[in-house]
Formats: sequence, structure tokens, C-alpha cells
Amino acid sequence: MTSRLFYDLVALVIFALVIVLGVPAIMGFDGFELNTFARYLALAIVSLALALSWGGAGLLNLGQAATFGMGSYAMAMHLKLKASGDGLPDFMGWNNVPELPLLWVPFQSLAFTLLAGLMIPAFVGGLIAIFMFRARIAGVFVAIITLAFLVAFQLVVIEQQGITGGQNGLTGLAPLSLPGWTVDTYGVGFYYLVAGCLMVAITLGIFITHSKFGLILKAIREDADRTRFFGYNVANYQTVIFCISAALAGWAGMLYTLVLEFASPTYMSVSFSLAIVIWCAVGGRESVLAAAIGAILVNMLEGRLSDVFVEGWNLILGVIFVLVVMFMPRGLHGLIGSGWQIITGKAGKPGMRPVDTGAAALPAKSAQER
Amino acid sequence: MAQLQITDLHVEFGGLRAVDGLDFEVEKGEILCLLGPNGAGKSTTLDLICGKTQPTGGSIRFEGMEISQMQEFRRARLGIGRKFQVPSVYKELTVSENLSVARSRRPGILHALTRFALSDGRAVAPILERVGLESKADDLAGNLSHGETQWLEIAMLIAQDSRLILMDEPTAGMTIQETARTADIFRALSDSHTLIVVEHDMSFVRTVADRIVVMNRGAMLAEGTIAEIESNDDVKTAYLGH
Repeated sequence: MTSRLFYDLVALVIFALVIVLGVPAIMGFDGFELNTFARYLALAIVSLALALSWGGAGLLNLGQAATFGMGSYAMAMHLKLKASGDGLPDFMGWNNVPELPLLWVPFQSLAFTLLAGLMIPAFVGGLIAIFMFRARIAGVFVAIITLAFLVAFQLVVIEQQGITGGQNGLTGLAPLSLPGWTVDTYGVGFYYLVAGCLMVAITLGIFITHSKFGLILKAIREDADRTRFFGYNVANYQTVIFCISAALAGWAGMLYTLVLEFASPTYMSVSFSLAIVIWCAVGGRESVLAAAIGAILVNMLEGRLSDVFVEGWNLILGVIFVLVVMFMPRGLHGLIGSGWQIITGKAGKPGMRPVDTGAAALPAKSAQER
Repeated sequence: MAQLQITDLHVEFGGLRAVDGLDFEVEKGEILCLLGPNGAGKSTTLDLICGKTQPTGGSIRFEGMEISQMQEFRRARLGIGRKFQVPSVYKELTVSENLSVARSRRPGILHALTRFALSDGRAVAPILERVGLESKADDLAGNLSHGETQWLEIAMLIAQDSRLILMDEPTAGMTIQETARTADIFRALSDSHTLIVVEHDMSFVRTVADRIVVMNRGAMLAEGTIAEIESNDDVKTAYLGH
């Protein structure tokens, strides 16, 4: 086991203790308070999903909210059917839909729903990825294409009112019934369900980052052409990380529907997608744990400040983003890394990477020195 | 049969015929040096062999297989490695991480997902020792000096273990001692690898080359041992003008 993996696992254990014991203790194990925090934890999963593709492979996916929304709607469709009993979901009646659309039928099954919430985002993400990466599209064009997809997808969801509930989304949902447990959104048990999902997702992310697969992705991020000449199928590597990231986003979406008890097309909005980018950047996109913490911190801040600055909150968020990009391009994670370097006085230790321009600014010593 | 056969190879860049009817063969275990004046098409020829550039005509056969239309990662998997003129190591990765990437015997995703990033550490340690970088294993490649970067690139080629290695000016910017050490490494490599080297340093070429191909205006001008080339009148004309 390398030392970097060791540090990450130690950080994960500390984080897990805070989430599992610290936060519930502060909130007095109160289900209503914990519900708010469960929302942050669900959003942390979608933030770390972005860190895998953006930080790990240099693919800035601005359509992350679309795959998040797919997971969210998958869960909401299941719960809406449960709430409607044998009848049609109420909004279908208002839209003169005569019978249950074919798309909805399989969502009667819980197993199908859970699978679909992961696989549909992964499949759609994979499809976009294959077209992009086979054509060797990279950099800012990935961001533009995924953003365009997000906008188009949200339009379709709003437009197809009879199937999706349109602008209103899906409301009036039944509680989730797992075998032997009906999930109470305002119970402590639900908080631990979401927290457990987050821990699993982070662990998965850490192992991907520290695998050879993660290493090859870093190599691709830096120089895709060079990596091809070592025999790696770059497009396939990029497609797989895109799929994994999309599936995690779908997972987060399912949990988010459970927390808020409805699904809305605003989950697929451009502003939500950009917010994910900000959480990820604030925490530090090169570490899945840092990205998750970034999501939790920014959302806590939003929870406090949006009461005071109702309209101004987005402006504050924008300023935070600008400051982060300008003064700590590698987020809080990078800041801690640099601080550690100063304390120990060991510049250039593994895991402590120089800030973006640092490596390039180092003078190239002449060969004569050898 | 020769390991690499190039037949009537052509490539055009917007009307410019960079390679124009090139023919040559390389035998297994040989060190072939490509010489020629600037713009003769030497680097382009390496690009065509490794797949960076697609030819507009002709054929390239590697171990009997036609590869001229194959994707570059497939050619790399067949056993063709390339060192570029500009040092191209991964500056944001450590030295040992660079070597792990280069050691690509099993480039599949499933294999990569089930291994730790530095699982190749033990396998690449002797290579690091061979080029004298063992004390820098955990340093970022971006912090290496120019000479060390060149060594890292050569170490990466050894780790990749390609059967055919294409080198573009491997000794550029090296000191005389470093060049001599590179020549030793090339000699040792040629036991089990075939090398095609583009190089301007004639003393280096004299030391390592088994055979020389001189190119001019995209085609082969002369071919032979160093002595034959040095006494060839066509070569003198091409280099010195009419």
C-alpha cells in the first residue's frame, strides 16, 4: 500500500467518524435536523462523481445534472406508482393520458428501479462519451457538448408533460418500501442510509483514483497522444470513467428524491449543474473525499446565508467560485497540501503536487550539470 | 523476412510531398539510423510507422502484418514504441508513476482497474537503476533536469519493452558522457529490440548504427554502412548543394 493511499484512507476514517457520530451528536439525533444534512450528503455523492471525471481524467462534464436527474426521476416514478395504487398517477389524468405509458410499466418493480437509477445514466453517459471520445474531442468542447445535452434533455422532460409531469415534476410520492423497512425520511435510520451510501461511493472513488486505471487516466489528462503510443485505448478509458461518474450521479439523484420527496426538472437545470462544478472546485477536484466535503461545506453555507440573502446568494456563490479559481486552483485540498508542505518543509513529497504553474516555472537545468 | 517493410510510401500535406515513394526494410535486432538534410522527411517517416500520421499511399508491414491504416494504440500493442523529439514525460506524475504507465503489457481496462497504481514498482526498479534515477523515484517528473528527463524517457521505452523502437534525436542536448552512455544502452537494447534512430550527431551514429538510410526530399537517397555512406557522391551533393 502506498503512503498516499494510506493518507486518503485515514482521512476517510476521520470523515466517516464525523458523519456517523459527530454530526448526529451535534444535532441531538434529531431526525428533522438530520434530514437537512442528509440532503448535503446526497449532493456530496454527485460532487465526487464529477471529481472522478473532471479531476481524475480532465473531462469537465457540465451535464452531470442530467444524469443526476435521471436517477432522481427513476426513483420518483417508482414511488409515484406506489402512491397511486392501482390507478394512474394523478397528473396523467389531468393530461388526458389514457393508460400507463410503456416507459413507466417496469418501474413498478423496486429492483428494476434501483438498477435503472444506476444503469440508465451510465448508458446515456456512455453513449455521449463514445461519440465524443472516439472523435477525440477534448478540453472545453467536452464541456460545451455535455452542457448542450443537459439543456436539450431538460427541455424534453418539461415538454413531455404527460409522462414526466412537466414543469411540476413528480410530487405526492409514497415512502420507499424496502424489504422489511419502510423508509422514514425524517428518521435517524434514513440519515444512516444516505451516509452509508456516501461512504461506499467515496471508498469506491478512492480505489479508482489509486488503481492503475486512475493512473492511466491522469496520464491521459496530461497527454492523451503520448498515452496512445503506449498502447492504451484512450477513448475506452475515458468512456468507462464517464459511465462510472454518470452512475454515481444517478445514485445521488435517487437519494435526493428520497430526501426531498419529489422530483423536479430544476434538478436538471444549468444552474444546478454549475453548482456541482463549484462544490467540486471548492473542495478540490483531485480528491473524491475533498470534492464531497466541498459539496457539504458550500451547501451548509448556502443553508445559512440564503435565508439572509435570498436573491443575493447566487452572487455570493459566484464570488466564491471566482476567488477559488484565482487563489486556490486546487481547492481546499490543494491548500491543505501546500500548508502541509510548509509545515514539514518537504517540498516535492509524493502527493503534494506543485500548484499548476509551479512545475512549469521551475528552471530547466542544463544537461551539463549532470 | 524483414521485421519492418516499407513499400512505396507516400504522404502529402496540402500539396507538399513530405514522403514520396519511400522504400526500405529493417531486420530484427538491427540499429538503423535515418539521416538526411532538414525537411527530408525523417521524422515524418517515424510518424507514419507509429501511426501519428496516416499515409496517402503505400504500405507498411510489421512482422508481416499490414499496419498503415491501423490506429496508433493498436500499433503500440503490436510492439512499436516511439520516443519523440520533444521530451514527452508526464510532468505531473512521479518518476515511478511514469514508468508504470509506460509498462503497458496489459493495457486493458479491467486489468488496470484491479491493480494498484504502483503495482509495477518491483518490475521497474531495475530499469530505474540502469538509467541512474533510482533516488528520484518519488520525484515529480516536472522537477527533473533536462538530462534526467531524457533518461526517464529512455527508461520508459525500456519499460514499454517494444520490439521496434523509433527514436527521434535521442541525444539532443546531451553531454558527451551522456551520449556515450546512451550509445551503450542502445547497444544493449539491440540484443532483443530493433531500433530506428533519427540522429544528427555523426559520432553517435558511427558508434551505434548497423546500417544507415539517407533520405532526401521524401525518398531514399542511399543505404549502406557508415563507410559506404561517407564515400557516396549523391549524399555529398544532397548535403552540400549542387
